[in-house]
Amino acid sequence: MERRNFLKAALLGSIAGAVQLKPENVFARESKEAPGQNDLVAVMGGEPEVMYKRGIAAMGGMKAFVKKGQKVVVKPNIGWDKKPEFAANTNPQLVAAIVKDCLAAGAAEVVVFDHTCDEWQACYKNSGIEAAAKAAGAKIAFAHDEKYYKEVDLPMGLRLKKAKIHESIIEADVWINVPVLKNHGGAKMTMSMKNYMGIVWDRGYWHANDLQQCIADCATYTKKPVLNIVDAYRIMTQNGPKGKTTNDVVLAKALFISSDIVAADTAALKFFNQFREMKMEDVSHIGKAAKFNIGTTDLDSIKVERIKI
Amino acid sequence: MYKFLKRGRVAVSILITVAVTLAFLFFSNRETDLFNGFLKIQFVPALLGVFTGSAIILVLLTLLTLLFGRVYCSTICPLGTLQDATSRTASLFKSKKSRRFKYSSPKNLMRYLILGAAGIPLIFGSSAVISFLDPYSNYGKISSEITGRLEQYVHNLLSTVFPDTIFFRSYSVFIAGSFIFALAFLILVLAMSALRGRLYCNTICPVGTLLGFISRFSAFKPEINRESCNKCTLCVTNCKAECIDLKNSTIDESRCVGCLNCMTVCKKGAVTYKYSWKKREEQNEVPANAASDPVPASSGRRDALITLGLVGTFLAVKAVGKVAPLAAKPKKDGIAPPGAVSIDNLKSNCTACQACVTACPNGIIKPATGEYGTDGLLMPVLSFDKHFCGYDCNVCTQVCPNGALIPLEIEEKRLTQIGKVRFNLKKCIVFTDKTDCGACDEHCPTKAITMIPWGEEGLFIPKVNRNICIGCGGCEYVCPAKEKAMIVEPNEVHAIAQKPKEEKQEKVKVDEFGF
Repeated sequence: MERRNFLKAALLGSIAGAVQLKPENVFARESKEAPGQNDLVAVMGGEPEVMYKRGIAAMGGMKAFVKKGQKVVVKPNIGWDKKPEFAANTNPQLVAAIVKDCLAAGAAEVVVFDHTCDEWQACYKNSGIEAAAKAAGAKIAFAHDEKYYKEVDLPMGLRLKKAKIHESIIEADVWINVPVLKNHGGAKMTMSMKNYMGIVWDRGYWHANDLQQCIADCATYTKKPVLNIVDAYRIMTQNGPKGKTTNDVVLAKALFISSDIVAADTAALKFFNQFREMKMEDVSHIGKAAKFNIGTTDLDSIKVERIKI
Repeated sequence: MYKFLKRGRVAVSILITVAVTLAFLFFSNRETDLFNGFLKIQFVPALLGVFTGSAIILVLLTLLTLLFGRVYCSTICPLGTLQDATSRTASLFKSKKSRRFKYSSPKNLMRYLILGAAGIPLIFGSSAVISFLDPYSNYGKISSEITGRLEQYVHNLLSTVFPDTIFFRSYSVFIAGSFIFALAFLILVLAMSALRGRLYCNTICPVGTLLGFISRFSAFKPEINRESCNKCTLCVTNCKAECIDLKNSTIDESRCVGCLNCMTVCKKGAVTYKYSWKKREEQNEVPANAASDPVPASSGRRDALITLGLVGTFLAVKAVGKVAPLAAKPKKDGIAPPGAVSIDNLKSNCTACQACVTACPNGIIKPATGEYGTDGLLMPVLSFDKHFCGYDCNVCTQVCPNGALIPLEIEEKRLTQIGKVRFNLKKCIVFTDKTDCGACDEHCPTKAITMIPWGEEGLFIPKVNRNICIGCGGCEYVCPAKEKAMIVEPNEVHAIAQKPKEEKQEKVKVDEFGF
């Protein structure tokens, strides 16, 4: 028996070894292409997958962020029962591309979820994200009931000192924040930090206790996303965050990637400002987060690469 | 032949009962609306829905009864099947002697009084009484409150065993009154059927009484052939309707549910269906026959005619659409689901079967306690405590078998104004705390709520346009203020909201990143 087990293990080990060789070669080639470490990459003018591929390569490839065997969460915005063309949710093609890339980088599993606003099954289905993520090999997690959330402390928070955060984020090794860029009636804009509202259970508390401060407070959660990937392929410039018709949507074809959540949101906001005026001071959670020193709003102080396709 | 027929009857009755039950259960009614068709073939839904597409079904059910008597009760009615199953199960635990049924005389006064109590309010435009007596609707309540809850517990148990594949079903609003009624009714029916077979159907059920009247005129009636019958009482002891009077060799067709038991057990073949229309004429010609009948046929026929007259009046009143108001000014604090047209329409047509309650994906439809007043108890009312009405959802309007909720296309539903929001500035977070909120605006699907600049600190406050509000309750549900600043006020009569304006944007050409 023991001998058989040993042989089995040896066989499996050698297969694993052989498999391992290949992606590592690929990675080596990719990193040759990438011109050093960028802090922020902005991409423009392509389809979601194409922009993502170029962008992540410029960030040093997914392997720089996701290690072999890690449990990964990809957290898009799936808040609304709307089809992709309404741009109320993150682009499903982008989500699928990220999921595939995480798996290719050796992730043990990739989980996708959001705490939706509209009825969750309709959101998961009609956003196209459930199907796209599953096809790409991700696991869809449930997030519609309080039982899927666990309380964590936010010692740095001014108004939000505790929050119930989704268990998959707590259990994951790394997570990737994938918001969609939208105008927002309450928070003015919704980007990376606002996307945290989908990892917590009690959003009502935020609205009732200085929304802008709570958004910044939650961004101090110690387990930060390794990447913030802001989807600006289609952007909702008015009537956000839910939108009425596709008249609210502009095909902007852009993507912003950064590990610095404040920088990612600053860049996305400045891009958005070209379509519709939006002042930094009005989106005050960005400034409030910068005060916590969790990132910078000064894009000149970091290494930015701009890619036009 | 009767054995074959009986097997068919049992198979059909089980099929229909299973399908009706599945229409109320989460795991089946989310995936398909196939089972809802089985709700529409029930008698009271067909009667109430006669002008909303169920006329053919009502005609077919009446024809069926005119041909074969109350076979509806033993094949189509799910409550009937439940009672047969109970009766059969109970007999396994009974002694041989107590297992036997006996003939019992009809409790006609009680039957007519209950039928009158349930039927007459219908003429005056209130389905309040029938909603507590209709066998289908009460079966619905049982399916929703008891079977459905059990299913939910099983589902949630499974969700702990398979957390990745089976999701936890959040518990929705629990209305104790509705649950207790369903449970009490279930216990009553189970007890009655365990002890006395179809006693409920033949003393209380108004549908049974009504179909019993029609059965007096039916073409085929069960009859005992006096010559071949040896009075072995096998038929009597197997008759769960307790309607075979062997002393006079008669079968009370108004109580016979056409279960075919007597015909299958009779060793002499003495109990059979006989064509009776031709015979009746003969009977009229020979008065000697009528005299030997212990119950004067004319009195039964008179009752039947009165009842059918009432049904006729009901249909006529319904067709004209004029309804005599029962109470002076009934209470109307509840928001009726989309498709209800008006609270009055709901109260005239709903029998509180809870098909809409169980079908609502957002779990916001609950049985009313006092929102519509006493004549609207347990009828569906919206509650925005745990969720709100989905903009792109019309499920409740599709499942109602009665026409109490008329089917709405998605496009119509999006403009159906079931209520209008009222904004109370003094309770709004932006006003009280001077901080951003906008949760209401976020959820508003028509942008009846927009955020406008307010004060000097760059704050935005909600502004409401009630003309385009459809009363979905998104804002009320999500408002984080301790006392809600957004409250939807019901529309007694549902209206058509104004279409939200299309806001075209100027095209801006952007080639740069902006930083």
